[in-house]
Amino acid sequence: MELQFGGTDALIILGAYAVLMIVIGWIAGRGKKLGKSVGEYYLAGRNLGFITLFFTLYATQYSGNTIVGYAPTAYREGFSWLQSIPFMTAIIGVYLIFAPRLYVIAKRAKFVTPTDWISYRFESKRVTIVAILLMLWGLGNYLLEQLVAIGHAVSGLTAGAIPYGYAVIGFIIVMLIYEWLGGMRAVAVTDVLQGIILLVGIFVVLIGALALAGGSLSGVSETIAATEPQKIGVPDLQTNINWISMILLAGIGAAVYPHAVQRIYSAKSERTLKRSFARMAWMPPITTGLVLVVGIICIVLYPGMDTWQSEQVIGILANDIAAMHPFYYWMMIIFFGGIVGAIISTADSVLLSFSSMVSHDIYGKYINPNATDERKVKVGKFVGIVVVFLLLWIAWNPPGTLYQIFVLKFELLIQVAPCFLLGLYWKRLRATPVFWGMVIGATIAGVMTLTGNNTLYGIHGGIIGLIANFVVCVIGSLMMPVSEDYKKHIHTKTSIHDNGVQM
Amino acid sequence: MKEPIQKKWIWVGFVLLILFNAPWYLPEGMIEPYILGIPFWALISVGLSLILCAYLSWLCMTQWNLIEDEEEEEFEKERRQS
Repeated sequence: MELQFGGTDALIILGAYAVLMIVIGWIAGRGKKLGKSVGEYYLAGRNLGFITLFFTLYATQYSGNTIVGYAPTAYREGFSWLQSIPFMTAIIGVYLIFAPRLYVIAKRAKFVTPTDWISYRFESKRVTIVAILLMLWGLGNYLLEQLVAIGHAVSGLTAGAIPYGYAVIGFIIVMLIYEWLGGMRAVAVTDVLQGIILLVGIFVVLIGALALAGGSLSGVSETIAATEPQKIGVPDLQTNINWISMILLAGIGAAVYPHAVQRIYSAKSERTLKRSFARMAWMPPITTGLVLVVGIICIVLYPGMDTWQSEQVIGILANDIAAMHPFYYWMMIIFFGGIVGAIISTADSVLLSFSSMVSHDIYGKYINPNATDERKVKVGKFVGIVVVFLLLWIAWNPPGTLYQIFVLKFELLIQVAPCFLLGLYWKRLRATPVFWGMVIGATIAGVMTLTGNNTLYGIHGGIIGLIANFVVCVIGSLMMPVSEDYKKHIHTKTSIHDNGVQM
Repeated sequence: MKEPIQKKWIWVGFVLLILFNAPWYLPEGMIEPYILGIPFWALISVGLSLILCAYLSWLCMTQWNLIEDEEEEEFEKERRQS
């Protein structure tokens, strides 16, 4: 994205922004014994209050892709991209299935990662390892997407003054510094700032787009109906099925993201957690909903773009808005700063979660079970650097459109869902069917994706894999003999009452 | 003690709101009538999305209470002590 309005001004804003994040990280971690406890470093001492928890949920769930990727999708698909509102809202519905009980058990058993729950519930090495691999795959892909996006956003904003490669490396270093200084606390507090800027940015670009379109939406609808009626009419049956499938895929996938699960663990109290979720339920209309309106307006402003051109539509729009008035010029710089912030706020959470799973789950459970917390935190920091630079190497050859990578990562990650959705409540659920369910579900989803069949009759490969996964879990568990002692054992572990069971 | 998973009506409502969010029940290609410059079908979908937001938000606040009272009591005790 070549932005003509950026350049030196943007450089100053981004520089100030980077310094501010490091200062916030330093303040967040000051006086805390972060390096000595995994709970302190990875979960902010399990003490996040309402405002920080809300914003860290928001800034993590909504990344730069929410704007840079979703506006072009709205441009290409038209009104059927209305689905981006309910699929972000459905995440809260899926949280409501498992978060209330998981929060209670996690507090009691002092979980650090989602894997802690899985190994606690199933007591099976192979289930734990497959779950770790699926979650790390999803996280790795998600982080890769963010790294590619940071480079494009920063080099675009500074009109190439900071080239793509330097932009990525520069912001990774900033991110690593504040994450090292303040752990999850730094991530959550910077999320407050990044979340606010993102929201302001979306409102500003919407106002600008409306101004460019002549101030009214009715003209927009009529123009689209006359020129591209397929983008405004009721979609065909397959698109409708795909719409519902997407709500399920994103709703379940985003709720069981490791960093999303860790935010449940980080809440100070049940009240804090449910209040944050209650507010989060209202964020999709004013985030993805407004981005949709921007994408729709672009159909009229820039007709006839192909897929590749449409990926640049937000940059083109920002250029035109900035050219209208000096006020808009500065607003667009803030808007792109918001995009950079949104990308970083997602990347930092993903990286922290990735580090926690490698250091606490793989290193702490299998390589060196006697490792102290201090050692695990050190390993996590080291892993963070290695992973980031490994992904960076891949990022130099960025894949196709952003939306496709977004679907790809959910396809496999979503296969851990039965561990949470069934595992918390169904005492008969056994480790062997869960293992095969994940393997079969992931294979179906992976094969469908790799053979270019992302969907079947509009249903995503991940959802088809998940249905097979659930069937294997349920039928397999029903076929296995189960003793009363086993049921009692699981009942004790999954009860909301404190039965003295620890990890 | 309230736990959302224990109440069937919550999930019936959730599934219905998701199922009817996509306009599969309307004729393909329908655009008009416009209301406030937006096709009627899109307005229905937006309306159902807003109801989903309100529903889930309300559920969080009213149908979920496992250890809240216990925790708040403890916080209150700590506050008094300090």
